[in-house]
Amino acid sequence: MMAGVGGGNDFQWCFSQVKGAIDEDVAEADIISTVEFNYSGELLATGDKGGRVVIFQREQESKNRPPSRGEYNVYSTFQSHEPEFDYLKSLEIEEKINKIRWLPQQNAAHFLLSTNDKTIKLWKISERDKRAEGYNLKDEDGRLRDPFRITSLRVPVLMPMDLMVEASPRRIFANAHTYHINSISVNSDYETYLSADDLRINLWHLEITDRSFNIVDIKPANMEELTEVITAAECHPHQCNVFVYSSSKGTIRLCDMRAAALCDRHSKFFEEPEDPSSRSFFSEIISSISDVKFSHSGRYMMTRDYLSVKVWDLNMENRPVETYQVHEYLRSKLCSLYENDCIFDKFECCWNGSDSAIMTGSYNNFFRMFDRNTRRDITLEASRENSKPRAMLKPRKVCTGGKRKKDEISVDSLDFNKKILHTAWHPKENVIAVAATNNLYIFQDKIN
Amino acid sequence: MVAKGQKRKLHREDEGRGAAWESQLQSVLDISMDKFHRDQALVEPSLLRSVLINNTLRQVQSEVRAQVESLSAVKILTKSQTHSGSEPDFPRGPPPSEHNAPLFSLNAENMEDDFMAWTSEEDFSLSSAISVILKDLDTVIDAGGQGPCAPQRAPLGSVENLTGDARLVQSSSRAEKMSDMMPSIKMEAACPGCPQDVSLDKLLLDIDTSVFEPEVNLLQGLSDDLVKYLPSLSKSPSASSSSSLDSHGQATWEIQEIEHVMDILMRTYPQS
Repeated sequence: MMAGVGGGNDFQWCFSQVKGAIDEDVAEADIISTVEFNYSGELLATGDKGGRVVIFQREQESKNRPPSRGEYNVYSTFQSHEPEFDYLKSLEIEEKINKIRWLPQQNAAHFLLSTNDKTIKLWKISERDKRAEGYNLKDEDGRLRDPFRITSLRVPVLMPMDLMVEASPRRIFANAHTYHINSISVNSDYETYLSADDLRINLWHLEITDRSFNIVDIKPANMEELTEVITAAECHPHQCNVFVYSSSKGTIRLCDMRAAALCDRHSKFFEEPEDPSSRSFFSEIISSISDVKFSHSGRYMMTRDYLSVKVWDLNMENRPVETYQVHEYLRSKLCSLYENDCIFDKFECCWNGSDSAIMTGSYNNFFRMFDRNTRRDITLEASRENSKPRAMLKPRKVCTGGKRKKDEISVDSLDFNKKILHTAWHPKENVIAVAATNNLYIFQDKIN
Repeated sequence: MVAKGQKRKLHREDEGRGAAWESQLQSVLDISMDKFHRDQALVEPSLLRSVLINNTLRQVQSEVRAQVESLSAVKILTKSQTHSGSEPDFPRGPPPSEHNAPLFSLNAENMEDDFMAWTSEEDFSLSSAISVILKDLDTVIDAGGQGPCAPQRAPLGSVENLTGDARLVQSSSRAEKMSDMMPSIKMEAACPGCPQDVSLDKLLLDIDTSVFEPEVNLLQGLSDDLVKYLPSLSKSPSASSSSSLDSHGQATWEIQEIEHVMDILMRTYPQS
């Protein structure tokens, strides 16, 4: 089934930009580990394994150029996290940025939360385009003036200067997680946020760094009895008392913070009964949920497991309302994928602004989009070969058996090292950002 | 002839399920054990990964157990059918009045052939041998869950329950507990001076491959592979347990050093 032909709700995705090195040798530190648009879509942040955050800003639309939307250019780059060493446990703490979440903009500055395995930081990104000149007590080059030499007073004046974008850490939320943080989510009250690791979820106030509330704790008294861990968590987009968390057994629990201080007992429990005919040794592993995202409306949520994406109605717990197969052809290869560890890859998923479409990544630098209304799906590829400006992307197809048609690729030819784990969709427009290892691709819909 | 035909039907069914299932079971077991041991060697393995691999190993274990039980039942059924005489349609041989009798006694009643009797006994001992092997596998998983390495590095070890010096004591007691729990797995590298536990040898003796009938080849292959695994299990746990015993050894050394220091202090400052 192919979208991209004809009008209506079909998208026609075109290449817009690609960021990152072209070298075949990819430096580990350059591998992108998270991608996130801000609330307006004006800014696009990426985090990488080296602990750096790069923020791109969209140019204002130019009237001179043909009707193409503004491009994203580097706005700010900073080192968010450094590698650390836990002396007590003799463990190195990776600087890899696991997640970035923007705060809604409340003044001229932009704020975002970035986290590695152990520490969350609140960054303020602000612009400076003026500087004061004519200080009384110091020279222009900063040297202190001799107070006895000052004979008159002057009022410093603000002079324009080249735009400088500064990133400064405003809060550091540390020492609250024993296990690795996998999720952060800003609450709709814009005052609190949650952070989740393998076994616990904490609730923070953005202003308070020296304590947090533990709201979920699934650590068993005896660790040998552990059979399930938390894999993702998110706050409801409108109800500040509601959040969900997913598990390695394919379940999602919705909790209401008004019910109790410790939300170990869920309000809703979402689980699809297993299909006995497809049971295998890998059933549990592939049911592990790697990402959970609420729809913008707050009525639905989407979960990603290894082979599929499921959309759940929050009012129905016993099964999802929609299931989309991402790469069902991998089901017969699960043993090999278990052996080469690909089965543990954590793919993310995202909604478009109107919740009518969803997107997720796959292997061979393929990514998949599903239109919820038309039920059409499309497979596209993020590659340098298709990177002519405004070139339309050709739908890709994986041949599952029998005769391979022209332009199809067979399952055995897929490159499992080229995986698209992180994707993001502009909150208002049809602009998508796709992270392919160390490159960031930006695609736009041709139809304005 | 007809009885043979019946047997063949059962045999084919078993083989159909067995071949593909067995090879996948073998692969999953191999891969899982490999990952399990590699993760044990890591300083800080991912908890999600450890939990998933552990659960897969447990699933393999339960599948093997289920298969062993079902094959034992099939074996008993086959025996009863071969002894039931020439009537192919006769389901279980015994007259209806005896159908409530347990299969064991039924088997005993129908036994005329000493060879068959011996084989069925061997099958039962084989089943019990497999159960023991499975129990040992279980123990390794559980012991591995504790973490043969230093406790603070175990993916499922109770890191937070240990504070300061308690770790030293805990690690040595853990190592002891582990060696208690695995009596049948040789720990040659670990304690060269200790008397070797020969129950593993006994298990190997029990499994006499020459008497196996075709139906049981599946089981034999499985048991052979499981037994093949035990040396690797005994190697790797001993490798990692030797590291734990290194830490155990180190802990002991540290305790000994502390005691030595205490001795000196006592001699220097004898208590009144």
